[in-house]
Amino acid sequence: MIAALCYEFRMQVRRPVLWVVYGLTLAALIATFGESYTMLDLGRGGGHDPKAAMVTSATITMTLLPIVYGCMLADRLVRDRRLGVAAILDATPSGRTGRLIGKYLGTCAATATPFAVAYFGRAVVWVIMEGRPAALGWSALMFLLGIVPGLLFLGALSVAGPLLMPPLLFRVLFAGYWVWGNLIPATMMPTLSHTVFAADSDYVPYGLLRLRMPDGMSTTGPWPGASLNLLRPVATPSVALLWIGLMVALAAAVLSLARLHTALTES
Amino acid sequence: MTALDLWSHEIRGAGRAALLAPPAFVLATLLLAAFGARLGSRAGTTAWMLLWAVETGIPLIAGLAAASVIGRDRATELQLSLPARYRSTVLRRLAVIAGWAALCALALSSLLIVTGWWDVFAALPAFPLGTAAVPAGQLTWLAPAVWLTALGLLAAAVFRSTVAATTTVAVVWVFEQVLSGPLRESAAPRLLYLSATARGAAPGAWLPNRLGLICTALPLLGAAWALLGNTERILGGERG
Amino acid sequence: MRIQISGLSKTYKGGVHALAGLDLDVPTGMYGLLGSNGAGKTTLMRILAGILKPTSGTVRVGGHDITTPDGRLAVQRTLGYLPQDLGVYPDLTARRFLDYIALLKGLDSRPTRRRRIGELLEVVALTEHADRRLKGFSGGMLRRVGVAQALLADPRLLVVDEPTTGLDPEERIRLRTLLSQLAGDRTVLLSTHIVDDVAQTSRSVAVLAKGRLVFQGKVGELTALAGRRVWNVTTSGPPPASGRIVSALPDGAGTRYRVVAPEPPAPHAQPAEPTLEDGYLALMEELPLKRGQSRESIA
Repeated sequence: MIAALCYEFRMQVRRPVLWVVYGLTLAALIATFGESYTMLDLGRGGGHDPKAAMVTSATITMTLLPIVYGCMLADRLVRDRRLGVAAILDATPSGRTGRLIGKYLGTCAATATPFAVAYFGRAVVWVIMEGRPAALGWSALMFLLGIVPGLLFLGALSVAGPLLMPPLLFRVLFAGYWVWGNLIPATMMPTLSHTVFAADSDYVPYGLLRLRMPDGMSTTGPWPGASLNLLRPVATPSVALLWIGLMVALAAAVLSLARLHTALTES
Repeated sequence: MTALDLWSHEIRGAGRAALLAPPAFVLATLLLAAFGARLGSRAGTTAWMLLWAVETGIPLIAGLAAASVIGRDRATELQLSLPARYRSTVLRRLAVIAGWAALCALALSSLLIVTGWWDVFAALPAFPLGTAAVPAGQLTWLAPAVWLTALGLLAAAVFRSTVAATTTVAVVWVFEQVLSGPLRESAAPRLLYLSATARGAAPGAWLPNRLGLICTALPLLGAAWALLGNTERILGGERG
Repeated sequence: MRIQISGLSKTYKGGVHALAGLDLDVPTGMYGLLGSNGAGKTTLMRILAGILKPTSGTVRVGGHDITTPDGRLAVQRTLGYLPQDLGVYPDLTARRFLDYIALLKGLDSRPTRRRRIGELLEVVALTEHADRRLKGFSGGMLRRVGVAQALLADPRLLVVDEPTTGLDPEERIRLRTLLSQLAGDRTVLLSTHIVDDVAQTSRSVAVLAKGRLVFQGKVGELTALAGRRVWNVTTSGPPPASGRIVSALPDGAGTRYRVVAPEPPAPHAQPAEPTLEDGYLALMEELPLKRGQSRESIA
């Protein structure tokens, strides 16, 4: 498993297109958000507060970069089959489940590396400009608790999805899912957006890290007039932990499905 | 006859995903609308969802399929050694993919006109067109489809990698959905705004936006055409 | 169809010199092109197929200058090319794949295409698999489909790049026999790093090393380079320290080594008859000494 993890990490992280596409997307993001990105203030206050600034940075980063993350992951398993690597790996003594987990973790870690560089890079720039190193701690906490669980789920979805359907169809659905299930206002149509099932969620910053939102700007909790409000509890530490648990559990469920599919197609 | 045979091979070679995705999307949209109506969703909400699907769904599929057209070709080296120019072959494949997506979009929008949903669109507050503008209304899906297809082909020619090219198209599409407000309000980006029908446009800005999308697609296609002429570059791409 | 190459160089982006001032004359018939991996064979094949443009030099194929767009098109019309990495469309049947390539090669008449494809499927012994999808084909069957597509337009020049790599012995023999039969009045340029393929099919051979031509001549002349340089050494001790070991066979209590070396590699070494492989190795062994000399002086 460790060998698969290291191999997949190296193979993915050195693909130039990975860095190029992330770079272009980040440039577009910075150009569009402009002052919000330079000040790290989305009107929720706290551009000079390290915790609020790092949460804002995460919110902006999570808008577009996960689509790069998901799409860039979507060819890893099918690519092995196409290149004939799968047959070679099958001949190795490592177990298939261990190899799948190693491959999943390695390739997700590699694909998340430019993401992390963008996020922590912004944190370092903020620290240099504001002179408050506490932001580095908040950024690490926010990344580990508020971003990584979502990426684990998205990673499982992207690694396993193209096994079950053509990669082209998966990418269409993934782009649609990202907008529908994570970004649109909850009142626009019935959606998983802003629920505990959304990979891009505010439960950790406002539930676990106890960040205070200005009145009337809450993105967590029930939305007036929206359907599926049952899945939008008010942000508390336990709800934030529930969100983390759900993301990890969903990732495990999707990977189990992928393993089952592989076992069935091989038998 | 020769041309017919060639096109028939290109249709077969387009791949199941590219051929099945547009009609599957149309079917899924109609089922979702019917499901929503059964659950008691307001006519305005259902109409908006249908309009959004027509304007953004099929163009996304066409763009992603165009972005895969080079990377999924497993016989590139052989193709480059043939007397038929490779870029003509690529354009033929693109025409198959985009043409089929356009037919599906046309079928969906015709269905919406016949069933009266177009009149419901017209009553929506943000709808920039009147019911009289039904023929011009086809630009609702045509302009973004042409633009995203051109972008997909250019990304495919630049990156020579399906994963990078499709990611680029997906990012641009999501970007347009998420940041519709700033795009709509800024002077230059307004011309490249893909959802000007469903998300609304300033009075008099809709038609320039649609024509702007089609006009800017042309240089994208031109750049892709130029890059496709560089065989060494095409051959050196990352497969898949 | 004669190939005349003069001063051919190819430098890739990033400064990699794949070919450096290559001069080569290939007559009609079967012609072998040997070289280790990275010697520049595939680059040369791709230039001849009109895929890559040379950085400098001239290449004339049947009188057409391949460095001009018109010349390249004229050559591609009379060329059959089997790339090293033959990609196919896995969802097409062999017959449909060939029909598609035939159309792209300009075979417009449907009856002519049908007849030609039928004949070629017969030639490559794939008639009974013609309507199966290519994704179910073995490596050898795919190579034979590759040969069939290369022959569609009845080419005067056949360029085949590493056609036998990865094939089982039976498929290898079948394929190289087929290529030899095809040579006749055609020019068949066979690029390979498997010396035996050239030994069994070609009378003439060229050897490339690091983008340069280091030998051009008859197969016998290349073999002769190892004359009085091939030795058999049987020993139960360590292998001979000098020379290049060609093979090692268990022999009773010891091991019998076949060694290419200018001097006997051991006191009890027995001289042996050289093969083409020995000649090739002898040439490669000599290269560092002869790098500064001209092609003529080496050949």
